[in-house]
Amino acid sequence: MSDDALQYDAIVIGAGHNGLVAAGYLAKAGKSVVVLDGAKAVGGAAQTAEISPDYQVSTAAHLISGFPRQVEKDLKLSKHGLVWATNDMVTVALDRDGKHIVLSSDRKSEVATIKAHASQDGDAWKAFEARTAKYVKLLKPFLEKRMPDVSEDGATKAAAMLALRLEKMGPLDLRAFLQLVPSSVAALLDRSLEGDLIKGALSLEATLGAAAGPHTPGTAFSYVYKKTQEAIGQGMGYPVGGTGSLTEALASAAEALGARIRLESPVREILVEEGRTTGVRLADGTVFEAPIVLSSVDPKTTCLDLVGARHFETPMVNHVSRIKMRGATAKINLALEGLPTFENFSDREYGGRLLIAPDMGTVERSFTAAKRGELTLEPVMEAVIPSYHDPRLAPMGHHVMSIIVPNVPFDVEGGWDVQKEPFVKRVIDTISDYAPDLSDKIIAGEVLTPPELEERFGWGNRGWHQGNMSFDQLLAFRPVPGMANYEAGVRGLYLCGVGTHPGGGLTGLPGKLSAEAALAAEKVS
Amino acid sequence: MTEEVTDQSAPEEGLDVSRDSPLNGPGVAPDPAWFEQAADEPPYARHVLTTPLHLEAADESRTNSWAEWAGYTVAQVYTSIEQEYDALRTRAGLSDISPLTKIRLSGREVVTCLDRLLTRPVGDLESNQSVRAVLCDGHGHVITEGVLFRLGDEEFRLVLRSSHMDWLMQSALGFDVQLEDVSGTIAGLSLAGPMSDNVLALAGLEKPATLAKHHGAWVELGGMPVYLSRTGMMGGREYELWCDPADASIVWRRLLNVGQAVGLRPIGAAVRDIARLENGVALEDVDYQSAFTARDPSEALSPYDLCLGGCVDLDRTVFNGQSALRKIAASGSTNALVGFELDLADAAGVGPICNGDKQAGRITSHAWSPMLQCTIALGLVEASALGASDGFSIKTHAGENIPAKLTKRPFLGSS
Repeated sequence: MSDDALQYDAIVIGAGHNGLVAAGYLAKAGKSVVVLDGAKAVGGAAQTAEISPDYQVSTAAHLISGFPRQVEKDLKLSKHGLVWATNDMVTVALDRDGKHIVLSSDRKSEVATIKAHASQDGDAWKAFEARTAKYVKLLKPFLEKRMPDVSEDGATKAAAMLALRLEKMGPLDLRAFLQLVPSSVAALLDRSLEGDLIKGALSLEATLGAAAGPHTPGTAFSYVYKKTQEAIGQGMGYPVGGTGSLTEALASAAEALGARIRLESPVREILVEEGRTTGVRLADGTVFEAPIVLSSVDPKTTCLDLVGARHFETPMVNHVSRIKMRGATAKINLALEGLPTFENFSDREYGGRLLIAPDMGTVERSFTAAKRGELTLEPVMEAVIPSYHDPRLAPMGHHVMSIIVPNVPFDVEGGWDVQKEPFVKRVIDTISDYAPDLSDKIIAGEVLTPPELEERFGWGNRGWHQGNMSFDQLLAFRPVPGMANYEAGVRGLYLCGVGTHPGGGLTGLPGKLSAEAALAAEKVS
Repeated sequence: MTEEVTDQSAPEEGLDVSRDSPLNGPGVAPDPAWFEQAADEPPYARHVLTTPLHLEAADESRTNSWAEWAGYTVAQVYTSIEQEYDALRTRAGLSDISPLTKIRLSGREVVTCLDRLLTRPVGDLESNQSVRAVLCDGHGHVITEGVLFRLGDEEFRLVLRSSHMDWLMQSALGFDVQLEDVSGTIAGLSLAGPMSDNVLALAGLEKPATLAKHHGAWVELGGMPVYLSRTGMMGGREYELWCDPADASIVWRRLLNVGQAVGLRPIGAAVRDIARLENGVALEDVDYQSAFTARDPSEALSPYDLCLGGCVDLDRTVFNGQSALRKIAASGSTNALVGFELDLADAAGVGPICNGDKQAGRITSHAWSPMLQCTIALGLVEASALGASDGFSIKTHAGENIPAKLTKRPFLGSS
């Protein structure tokens, strides 16, 4: 396929991880594929860039927990430069007095750290984990394959599938599961555990990236769903070179399989003729033709802006335009001239995922403040020191720190120009409560406010999941009933972004399953 | 300051005056609540509405018999059903159709928007031509039907029996099109009957006879602009006149005055209903449930069920209900709304329609047709029963089996 060809078997819109995975699988099946992206580099939200010379960090997404081994093997990613710096990170719930809770595969020490806060939590935690594991086992098979479409006959099929698995659980677990689905994570945790710190950390995990607080209904299921996604992956971690290395490996693999990646080619329109997609038109007017188009852009934008409402029946337009996409986040990347000193930290903790959420009240207050357009006084956050496992990200002895601050308003009172500095100061001060020497070690930093994330990645005010991950928008309801099978209602058009099943995070599964759906549909016709 | 003073003194003066009022008697203070302004009433809270022709209708009414139509009060019978029916079918009848919902659609993409909204394309419609419009939901069920007028290149008017504005607004999303409910700014009069041309001629209009069916034109009637269209649902020679509400009663009066010579009479809703049934027209909420008001999905009907298959054009770009209708068209419809002639003077309270011994459907509306000298009815029956060799019958409340003769719609041949 020459470099200026305009006709392909398939076009993939967006060179993020899912777009590239989809392109890889399509190319592997022998299709000629072109990936089109408006950005200057591949990666989408999984990119590595410099904070300042010699200090590199994953600009947006900084952790990978749900990337399946199968995709890595299928696309031979290790041959294309994917090396995991770590995939066995612990989760550390930071405590001001140094009694940190460390969640790891080492069950004994894990329980010990939890017990230090509330003695009765030792057994309670074991029971909680055991029950969570059951739910994960229940859901896992659904996340690894395509969901039946619930619009028509698929509805009974989906219900039957779930009913069968639910029945197998036994009456007690079934009751607990049914109670869990509409619950808030706060209700779930209050039912199960005592310690404030563990509950704060888990509630932050459940709500991270969504416009939700611990008391928001449905967040209990979000927690279980997140755990299921982790169970599909290979453990929490990141590759050498940051998350950008994953997408670079994916790009290289796709190109090796014959796919072409064309950057700086923003797609303006998906062309539809007689209810069938025929290709895409770029912003500069260039037309690429293909009978199959996969879009990793969010379903709302794909359907209403790129295709246009006119190509869908009114009920579908209603469904799509009502996809909930909310939740603003800020990202702070710091270059440090040494490791900040955390009390009672060892190797394992420094290399772990650090959660600052002293209790559920703090997490809830940060959400409430964001709803009002204000900045919370006590920000909660997820922080990682990627250079700990991947020293080449910073000069010898120096480090980078990557911080995600959820529940930040998109339109802050007073405007971000005014609020940016106090916001960063508040975040640094909060971390300094745990690592007092942090501010002395900062030599450079990068702050991405929600409007800046919007400009760079397009998800400033809409959450990074292309549709909130709540039960009503998951599984066969993702992105909307009638599109769960990746088919976007226009023949030949498929959705392949995180807005589709099984949803957000760097999993590559939407891309894989969407490509499989497209290939399967082609075989039938 | 001065304003405050007058504000305070004004009600006191008012009290003094009313104290002397003969209604209250001397020395009795009126209840201050009488003078309080009534709370503002939102427009949707009002269910008793009058049309611009209400005073004229009240003036003509000899029976004080009224009917409710979409919240409006319209005359049920002016003099007697027999007289009015006779006028309509042998001379001419004038009636008030202002309660119809009228929606103006305009804009650059109005044609593509309507193409997606309706079951048939409208691009070929000429200016001043009208067409029957069927709206389906995503399941291919009929929401409502009405008449679509093309008034210009980028201007249409949709006339419906009920509004469904929310659905229309949702369906306009993503199109460069403006939607406006103009019901309150347009009054409607229906002129029907074999002598209606003569009435229009007497009113000073020479041309209407040349107006083709389903076409319309702006005319001047007594100096007032009137949009005259050869549309209606009663069959025979009929016209609809659309005008400014302020002009409506003058147009009405003028037509009645000049029409007296040829026997024009105002006709009420009762006769209109007989006439529309003779013409075989099914009504939303009477003969079928709108897809939105059906309590059970099985109550909602497709255009094929309503024998409106002629209004559906499947092979074109996407329109509401297309994918569902394709499936229905392939598998065949399950119901059919068909016409029956019954050998029965009054069909009120009759039981189900039977096919052989099996129950096969129900009567949805019925009337005694003086022209046909029999009771005619629309009935919703299972499509499978249509092919059966057994004839249809109806069980009366007396337990008798009355044969029901399957009849073509419209019952009265159109002229």
